[in-house]
Amino acid sequence: MMARPIPAFIPALAPPLLLIGAWQAASATGLFPAQVLVPPSEVMRTLASLAVNGELSAHLGQSLFRLVFGFAIGATAGLAFGAALALSKWIEALFSPLFLAVRQVPVLAFVPVLVLLLGIEEGFKITIVAVAAFFPVALATFDGVRGVPKAWFEVARVYRTPLVPFVARILVPATVPPVLTGLRIALTRAWLVLVAAELLAADSGIGQMMEMGRQMFRIDVVLAGVIVSGLIGFALDRGAKWIERRATRWRTA
Amino acid sequence: MSMLLKRPPARIAIGLVVPVLILFWWQAQSQAGGARALAFVPLGSVATAFAELAGSGQLLDDALATLSRAVTGLLLGGIAGVTLGVVMATSRLVDRLVGPLYHAIRQVPLLGWLPLIGLWLGNGDGAKLLIVSLAAFYPTVLNSYEGITHVEKRYLDVGRIYGFTSVQRFRLILLPAALPLILTGVTQALAFAWIATIGTEILLGSGSGLGAAMGLAQAQQRMDVILVAILVTALLGFTLNDLFARLRGHLLRWQGASA
Repeated sequence: MMARPIPAFIPALAPPLLLIGAWQAASATGLFPAQVLVPPSEVMRTLASLAVNGELSAHLGQSLFRLVFGFAIGATAGLAFGAALALSKWIEALFSPLFLAVRQVPVLAFVPVLVLLLGIEEGFKITIVAVAAFFPVALATFDGVRGVPKAWFEVARVYRTPLVPFVARILVPATVPPVLTGLRIALTRAWLVLVAAELLAADSGIGQMMEMGRQMFRIDVVLAGVIVSGLIGFALDRGAKWIERRATRWRTA
Repeated sequence: MSMLLKRPPARIAIGLVVPVLILFWWQAQSQAGGARALAFVPLGSVATAFAELAGSGQLLDDALATLSRAVTGLLLGGIAGVTLGVVMATSRLVDRLVGPLYHAIRQVPLLGWLPLIGLWLGNGDGAKLLIVSLAAFYPTVLNSYEGITHVEKRYLDVGRIYGFTSVQRFRLILLPAALPLILTGVTQALAFAWIATIGTEILLGSGSGLGAAMGLAQAQQRMDVILVAILVTALLGFTLNDLFARLRGHLLRWQGASA
């Protein structure tokens, strides 16, 4: 047991490299037609050329614009709705049955409805992203605010804390951890739904790039899209987790 | 006033206010005519569409197709997922080899695989089932891995004292201790599989199923049919979740007071 342990990343890298090697070898044998399997080197070349000719950044820019815009709307609405639902018994009684019923519907099932209502333009894509973000954020905010101990409200009442300091110094810090988790889940879900919506109806975006690749039997373009959408998904999740850790540092300290 | 909120019948009535208002607004929109009437179908025609679809057996066929796809995918993906999760948690080698690959593949948005799988398998049932199984696979791997790795060490120590074989150790200690988390994974898998089923059916739009019916109705601009399909989807999804929650409660009944 005196030998130094192998750094964790070396065995971690081995299987993906092996897989890529086997993939390259399999496509080199010519066993599969190019519409079925293209070598990874070809995918990388396509990815590089898409990046150089600006096509990739145009698609990516469109997708990220829709994601940020739709997410901002959906998350803001979710925060406001969730907090209102948790703070007012009347709002809860009025809206929670409807909210719980609508939540049973998978977000993607709203796609046909929204297409008929809004067409397939930008408005539709931003709305579906907003809807996807709304539900997890509203739910997390509701749970977060409800989770604040009753005693804290009572202490605030005894001290006659005005509303603004009460919200800023008690309510917000107490609800930040669950709400951030909700926001992170919402972000991942919004990205999934956006890619799906772009596959279905779009003239630009990463999803549309993949769908075009499929229609033209360009498996290299499809795989390039898979890699890019995976990287974006990874970056979104990691970024959100980083913010979550930073914002909740005081808890463990 | 707040006494009113405590009485159940009053609560139900209050909860119905907003939905009823929305229905009235919708009905008013449908009678306003013009371009909007296309999207805002009169409520009566939704009921007619429901009766028509239910009467012809179309609705039942679609519901059964969607249900069987979701359940088959859940079984395939769930069994594969629990197996991989357990193996990864018990074998360091497999964990090191497969873990990074699993986490890399998981980053791709689920439906982003559709164009690729469409090229490989076409848009038939195979492609849909693969996506649904994948949806069920991810959360079950993660949760069964967590479940096995977090089994309390003292349970394993007891097993060692009793001289358990590795099969006994797995069957009598690891599996029961990890069961709550494994079932959490299956609960998530059920929700994801349901969403993935509807999503792939809408996106691939071939064959039968509630999602395919929605996609077709969208092309024919039949909002009434879409709404019927959504209603049935929501009810079925809710029922599935509820049934599974009961099953989970039954399987974990031994937890009782300690949980």
